[in-house]
Amino acid sequence: MVLLGKVALYIAGTALAGAGLICSEGMIEVKVVEKQPEAHHVYVLAPAMLVPIGMHFVPSRKLGRAATEIHPWMPTIRAALEQLRAGGDITLVDVREPDQHVLVTKDGESVVVDVTDKDETVHVSAPIRAIESTIEQVAAASADPHD
Amino acid sequence: MQKAMRTIGVCGVLALTMSNLAVTAMATPATERYLHVKVDDASKGESVNVNLPLSMAAAILPTVNKGTLHNGHVTIGEADFNGVDVRALLDAIRTAPDNEFVTVKEKDQDVRVAKSNGNLIVHVLDKGKDGEKVDVTIPMKVVDALFSAVKNNELDVAAAIRALSDAGDAVLVTVQDATEHVRIWIDSHSASE
Repeated sequence: MVLLGKVALYIAGTALAGAGLICSEGMIEVKVVEKQPEAHHVYVLAPAMLVPIGMHFVPSRKLGRAATEIHPWMPTIRAALEQLRAGGDITLVDVREPDQHVLVTKDGESVVVDVTDKDETVHVSAPIRAIESTIEQVAAASADPHD
Repeated sequence: MQKAMRTIGVCGVLALTMSNLAVTAMATPATERYLHVKVDDASKGESVNVNLPLSMAAAILPTVNKGTLHNGHVTIGEADFNGVDVRALLDAIRTAPDNEFVTVKEKDQDVRVAKSNGNLIVHVLDKGKDGEKVDVTIPMKVVDALFSAVKNNELDVAAAIRALSDAGDAVLVTVQDATEHVRIWIDSHSASE
């Protein structure tokens, strides 16, 4: 009985540590709300670390074109993300049109994009570290020779 | 003896206070400065606000190498200067007292270039149907930094951004026409309002 309890404790501890590790880079939040009569609501809250992990399973050749295009801009992207991470919260871009409002902000450790138009509202929040890891992986992918 | 002890005590407290102040001063980062761009189009009911920390702009610019922009410098063709020695011209303006240097009044346009309180000021008034009015106020230190590149046909934009960081709050550019209003300014507020 005691042994069973210890095993359960180890499993619970490992699960807790694993969950903590997976959530260590923060969470990606996506929320889409349609304003139509048959409104659809989409809400996704996922550990940000899953995105760079998932990128490992994308065949390198599929990312070849993106890698080629993004590679020259990597120093700029790295500098921008580093400064963004070091700086305080800020509204970077705010665009208002009669039927649309786009807001790009840095909030804590995340970049948040909010789009509101007459049909739907979209909210995306992604940790800067996860964005950086994902972009680094895309840039590191080798170009497809047949592309 | 008691007086000496009291003096030593006061000196100790003073030294501790001074060292605390010094540590606080070293630990406090310099105030961040922001470049704001605001475009309002009344006819379309649109507005665009962009806020950018100058430190971010200063860090990003040297990394961009595309077209005429490389390592924070913009290369300008000789034709863009129209044979004018801009450095000599700026040197003359820098050493001159505050004054109005150029005033052009035409049927459809007025142009005024002046130096005032350490700023280079350019006013352009288009008397066309849109009645566009452009005001540019650039601190001379920023202009100097812009033309501090070693090569004659280059503008050092990165140095100008660094100089802007040290400048006070200022409205750099305003453009106003019948429907649109553009404003570019720097201050220490992260929001544009």
